[in-house]
Amino acid sequence: MREIPKHLSFDLPVLPTTTVGSFPKPPYLLEARRKFLDKQMGNEELHALEQRATRDWVSQQEELGLDVLVDGEMYRGDMTTYFANNLDGFEISGLVRSYGNRYYRKPIIIDEVRWRGPITVDWWKFSQGLTSRPVKAVVTGPYTMMDWSFNEYYPRRREACLKLAEAVRQEVKALSKAGAKIIQVDEPAISARPEELKEFAIEAMKIVTKGVDAYFINHICYGAFEFIYPEMLDLPVANFDLEMTNSELDLVELFHKYRFTKDLSFGVVDVHSHKVDDIADIERRARQALEVLKPDQLWIDPDCGLKTRTREETLDKLKNMVEVVSNVRAKLEK
Amino acid sequence: MIEVDILTSSTGSYPRICTHTESQQHRQACASLESGVISDAEFGRIEDEVTKEVIKEQVDAGLDFITDGLVRWQDPISHLSRRLNGCEINGLLRFFDSNFYFRQPIIKDRISRRESILKREFIFAKSVSPKPVKAVVTGPYTLAKLSINRRDIDLKMIVEEFTEVIAKEIAELVRAGAELVQIDEPAILKNTGDFPILKEAIEELDAEKGRAKLALYTYFGDAVPLYEQFLELSVDALGFDFTYSPKLEEEIIRSGCSLDICLGLVDGRNTKIDEKEKVIKRLKRMLPALKGEHVYLSPSCGLGEYLPREIAYTKLQNIVAIAQEARELI
Repeated sequence: MREIPKHLSFDLPVLPTTTVGSFPKPPYLLEARRKFLDKQMGNEELHALEQRATRDWVSQQEELGLDVLVDGEMYRGDMTTYFANNLDGFEISGLVRSYGNRYYRKPIIIDEVRWRGPITVDWWKFSQGLTSRPVKAVVTGPYTMMDWSFNEYYPRRREACLKLAEAVRQEVKALSKAGAKIIQVDEPAISARPEELKEFAIEAMKIVTKGVDAYFINHICYGAFEFIYPEMLDLPVANFDLEMTNSELDLVELFHKYRFTKDLSFGVVDVHSHKVDDIADIERRARQALEVLKPDQLWIDPDCGLKTRTREETLDKLKNMVEVVSNVRAKLEK
Repeated sequence: MIEVDILTSSTGSYPRICTHTESQQHRQACASLESGVISDAEFGRIEDEVTKEVIKEQVDAGLDFITDGLVRWQDPISHLSRRLNGCEINGLLRFFDSNFYFRQPIIKDRISRRESILKREFIFAKSVSPKPVKAVVTGPYTLAKLSINRRDIDLKMIVEEFTEVIAKEIAELVRAGAELVQIDEPAILKNTGDFPILKEAIEELDAEKGRAKLALYTYFGDAVPLYEQFLELSVDALGFDFTYSPKLEEEIIRSGCSLDICLGLVDGRNTKIDEKEKVIKRLKRMLPALKGEHVYLSPSCGLGEYLPREIAYTKLQNIVAIAQEARELI
């Protein structure tokens, strides 16, 4: 990998495989989370079950043969609400629809946003303690936290975003201090208002990453990339994790026009379909990626988090993905 | 002397579930349908019930014009396109700058209608509502612009094909008793150069309206650059989202409005409850310039995908209270 600083010292094969962050929660954990909300279960009991599910997913990822693991986010609900719950300045609203039959509790910024202490660090340490492979830390980025919250406090979006960037920076620093070398900052909303990329979204990401010793990834999905490419290459990260399957690989055409200059985690598996992606389809997607990227620029993963799929669908999709990568690697070695 | 009549209306969608678990029948039914536990017919019955519920809530809030809450719509684009020949439904894409996602259609062949889409929904809503029901339809330009075009023809021709389909939908809605039809065309705001295409499409739709009134709605963008051109369209009313248009108030005062107008002065995308006095002040400033028969006060956009149900209801109540106070002031 070109962009991994040597002193971070993690060894990865060509076309490293990874996932975006979330995995489906097992039924016993879903039940426990319901009980916890109804105050029929205490924090400790829930926590133990979250650990059990995390252990299971870490070992599943090892068995599948993935190269960079995640903790699976067994302890998170919605990606924005989870962090809002753990920062000062937020309260949580009622349910808001995001697509189809999916709803989330959208946070409301009601006061000055502040980081009050490590949020995900213990979970990262816990999962890294279970494996010798690198575990990627995953946090939600400041632009997305701002865009996916109701803002009742800050006069402008820019101020809200930059304040959130300070808070996310504290979390990222704490993760790095704990030993996390690969940190993914999720920014699915970053293409929401393309003009804001230059106005403050890049500035916010600079606040998050500046001087923090880690290989940074930005995960971006389900937006109109054509409006922010190639400008988005100015985001100060080493790797972009992009959803390519859902958008029918439109980006590949863009990359023909403007060369992609960073590393790319290329989504080759559709996370919104129950259908397990065929080997042939995944192979075609990987081949198209290699048309516009050098092998040492390319990581392979699903489009997005897999939490909405069943366990079986998740494992089957990932099995096929890993198989394709191993075939492609063999061809590259020839 | 100001002679305009101030009415209140919904802008489109309304949240289909509440936050407390006892009132989430739609969500549970969707999950049951997906896993095959209930039939399409049973699901349709639940959609009817939820439609009644959201109509009742709008009526209880005191609105003059309500909608069916677009309870049966997956999203404003695929609800129509998935029932058309020539369209195939593809992956998720963000709906403008929101955190709501729609299924994007791919246009592969000549677009045509194979069944009536909105008529049944409207007839049901009308039969259960004590207040007039506004029909809502996504406009042909927005349907075309938010689709992937895989044919070797330009956008204008795709819009024309969608226009044929939407014209038939409108004609059926009018025959079914719709007095007011809202056409949503948010996509034009970021593509002002396409205005002539929109204008032609609206003329086609106007020919089908019979005695009904057509209202063109835009949202999620600044309407000021197109304002004067909107006034020339063959529609009876214009609807605007003021939250994206800091200068729209001045523009309306400057250019006036000879049509009915729907003022989206209440923010449909923020939980913060709009200050009554501020809204009334803005309304009062604009009123002398409004020369249409009716002024509708409404949320800046449909609420179904952007607010929790409880807040949506409070927003509607607030609109009714503001209109009441404004009428007294006049």
